[in-house]
This record gives sequence, C-alpha cells and structure tokens, in this order.
Amino acid sequence: MPDARITFEGVGKRYGKLWALRNVECAFHPGEVVMLIGPNASGKTTLIKCLLGLVRPTEGRITVNGEAIGSDPAYRTAIGYMPQISQYPATLTIGQLLEMMADVRGMSNNEPDDRLVEGLGLSAQLNKRLSSLSGGTKQKVSAVLALRSRPSILVMDEPTAGLDPLSSKRVLERAAAVRDAGGTVLITSHLMEEVEALADRVAYLEEGSLRFLLPVQEILVRAGTKRLSEALPRMLESRALCNA
Amino acid sequence: MLKVFKYTLIDLARNRFVLGYAVLMLLVAQGLFSLEGDPTKALLSLVQVVMALVPSIALVFTVVYFYDIQEFTQLLAVQPMRRGAILGGQVLALAVALLLAQAIGLGLPLLVHSPTLAALVLSLSGSGLVLVFISLGALIALKQREKARGVGVALAIWFLLVLVYDALLMWGMFTLSDYPIEPFVVPFAGVNPIDLARIMVMLQVDLAAMMGYSGAIYKNFFGTQMGMAVAGLIMMVWVLVPGWSAMRAFNRKDL
Repeated sequence: MPDARITFEGVGKRYGKLWALRNVECAFHPGEVVMLIGPNASGKTTLIKCLLGLVRPTEGRITVNGEAIGSDPAYRTAIGYMPQISQYPATLTIGQLLEMMADVRGMSNNEPDDRLVEGLGLSAQLNKRLSSLSGGTKQKVSAVLALRSRPSILVMDEPTAGLDPLSSKRVLERAAAVRDAGGTVLITSHLMEEVEALADRVAYLEEGSLRFLLPVQEILVRAGTKRLSEALPRMLESRALCNA
Repeated sequence: MLKVFKYTLIDLARNRFVLGYAVLMLLVAQGLFSLEGDPTKALLSLVQVVMALVPSIALVFTVVYFYDIQEFTQLLAVQPMRRGAILGGQVLALAVALLLAQAIGLGLPLLVHSPTLAALVLSLSGSGLVLVFISLGALIALKQREKARGVGVALAIWFLLVLVYDALLMWGMFTLSDYPIEPFVVPFAGVNPIDLARIMVMLQVDLAAMMGYSGAIYKNFFGTQMGMAVAGLIMMVWVLVPGWSAMRAFNRKDL
C-alpha cells in the first residue's frame, strides 16, 4: 500500500458535552475508494467536515499528503467536495456558478473537465437560474463542482441521494475514475449496492467511534458470506468479528 | 476576496429585496418632496424616515441574507481560500449593493429637490448607518445558529437603538433636569450611531437653536471640524468593531 494520503490521528470533536467523534485513528491511501457507513448521527459528516476544515477538531491531528492541516487553505486545492445538501445563490445561473468556482480555484476556462456537464444533461441548462432547479439537478451541479477540477481527493456526502439512476451511475463512474487515476475517494452512503459496487474498504462509524475500517474482501471472509449487504449486519452483531 | 465580492454582487444585483429597497426609498423621498412645499421641511421628515428605516432594513436584510447563503458559504469554505476572504467579499458586496440602492432611492431625489449641504450630510449619515448595520448584522448572523433567533436579536437591537435608547436618555434628562447634565448628553447621544447621524443632519439645517442648551452643546462640539472628525471616528468604530468581531467569529466557527 502506498503512503497514506490522509491520516486521522486521535481525532475527536465535541459539541458541548456531546462527542460527535472520538479518538478516530485511520489512514486513507491513494488509489482507493473508502465508503463511510454508519447509522444517522454516527459522525460520518463530522469526520468529513474535519478533513475539509469546516469543523475544527477538539483533539487530535489530521494530515493531508503528510502535512498537518491548519489555517493554510492551500491543501484544499487537491480536494473536490460534493455536499449532502446543495444550496446556491438564488439568482446566479448554473453557468455563472461554474465560472465562479473555477475562478475561485484559480482554473482557466480551458482547464475544467466539462464532460460531466454534458453527461449529466446540464449543457442545455447553463443559463437557468439556480433557484429554479429541482433538488436532483442541484445535486448534479454539486457533482460537477466536485469533479471538474480533477481532484486527487474526492469527498462525497450521500452523492446519489435525489439523483436519477443514470445520473447516479455516471457520478459513481467518475468517482471510480478518480480512484483509478490514483486519487483517494471518501463516500458516505446508506445504499449497500453502491458500497458493494465501488468500495475498496469500508469504514463503519458508530456513536462517533470508528468500529472498523476493513477491505471489502476481508469483511466478506470474516462474515462468511458473499454479499456485503449480508456481511455488514453480521459484523455489527458480533464485536468479535469487528475486532478479529 | 474580489472573486467572492464579484459573484455575490451579481447575486445581490438581481435580489428583489435590494431592488425593492431602492424603489421604497425613492417613493418615500419623492413623495415627501412632492407633498411638502418647503424642501427643508421635507428633508426633516426624510431624516426621521431614514433614521428608522435604513438601520432596520440593513440589519434584517444582512442577517437573513447570511442565513440564506449558509450552505453556499460552506461550499466556498472548502475551496482553497481563506475564510477572511469569503466574509470580506460577502460583506463588501452587501455594502456596495445597499449603498447603490440607497444612492438611487435617497441620493437622487435629494440631488434633484434639495442639493444642499444638509442633504449631503443626510446621504453620508445614511450611508454610514448602512455600513454600521451591515457590520452588526454579519456579527448577529454568525453568532446565532438559528435564523429566527438571529432576526429576533436584530430587531431587538434595532428597537433598542431607535426607541429605547432615546427614551432612556430623555427620561434621564427629565429626571436630572435640576442638575447641569447637558455636558454628559453629548457623549451619551454620540454613542448611539442613529442619534449621532440625526444630530449631524440637524446641525446642518440649523435646528440646534430649537433644541435649547443641548442643541448649543451639540453645535459647539459637533459643529466644529474636530467634532465632525470625532463623529466620523465613532461611526468607524461602530463599523469596525462588529466587523472585526464577525471576522473572528467566522474564523472560529464550525460550519
């Protein structure tokens, strides 16, 4: 396995008396897709937000490409992020938003990869105002924003929620392409089919703690089954399987 | 910062509330000058409207706008740019949008109907109030997580500065009327940006004479170049302190 691209070293986040994340120790490598799964409020989004610098950890340290993340935002040049909820300035058009984000990231007009704009059927809608878009179309815009700068770290929070099956397929294909190009992809999902189709490793979070981070094959072997959707419940029912 | 400023301004330029603000001010100003034959009297009525309306609109709009763009701000914050640049660009765009709306709604009628020094001071004071209340609005929006609570705090602050502060000052002056308290009135009035703006305009239309001994004190102090500079400085403090606090809050905030 190559050197870790992202490490979490004893990372914890507390909101008041509640620990949303507790002592998370893990590493994510180039060329892999890690699916973050867990029940609602298990800390998946907080973990992602800590990596993105949106949330400041109460304790511990996060590194990206060997450098601890701090107040310098330069490390985010490598990151593409697709949030769970997309809300954009109401009166801007899709075209203006794409232009703005390219501008903010310092990309020239020729640089962004806009095949996804066409692939997701957004080419004809570039002049539409963002306020007039459906939730699904806003998700497509978010996917384009996350992917068009060719990130080496791709973070997607429930990327296919609200997307039609064809668009979901295209977005996940692009995520896989980022992995194949040596990128690190972190995806939160509740959909086992997605996890099964794409994941190289699965991280399971519960009550803010990382219960396991294992390759898919190992989960299947430990659980003694061929389907991840059957293996995960078995793993969770038995602490011994998680720790083995 | 300039990139955020540019696109936030494009968004605000098409915002119905900003356009509505310009039209409302235009209608009020034009209406007052049309109904009142004497431009000075119309200007005095306009002063009261500006002192009540401008702070409330700038404050509430800023608070609501910051809540409305919260998720987008989050998306900007994961780009390779400093948070200071994001907030700076957004606040600057809000200031330019509201100042332009005010220049059209208030500045144009004043220029046409009453091109006097008093009108210029009213325009400048109104602009100062826009900046003060945008700054306060940004701070409120960043300190309060819930939109309803943020709007509530904004309205409470507006109510406090527009009505309660003056009522307390009047009550104090009335209760202590047997004592020579006028020298203390100047600093107390000067602390409230709305009162300060009102005094600066009143001095230009020479209403100080009608305000008795307090008016004379105001004139003696704020009527001088030194007084004007102090007034400008107080306004600047009202812009910079909440603005700096907002920046600090944003830099530390979990988004």
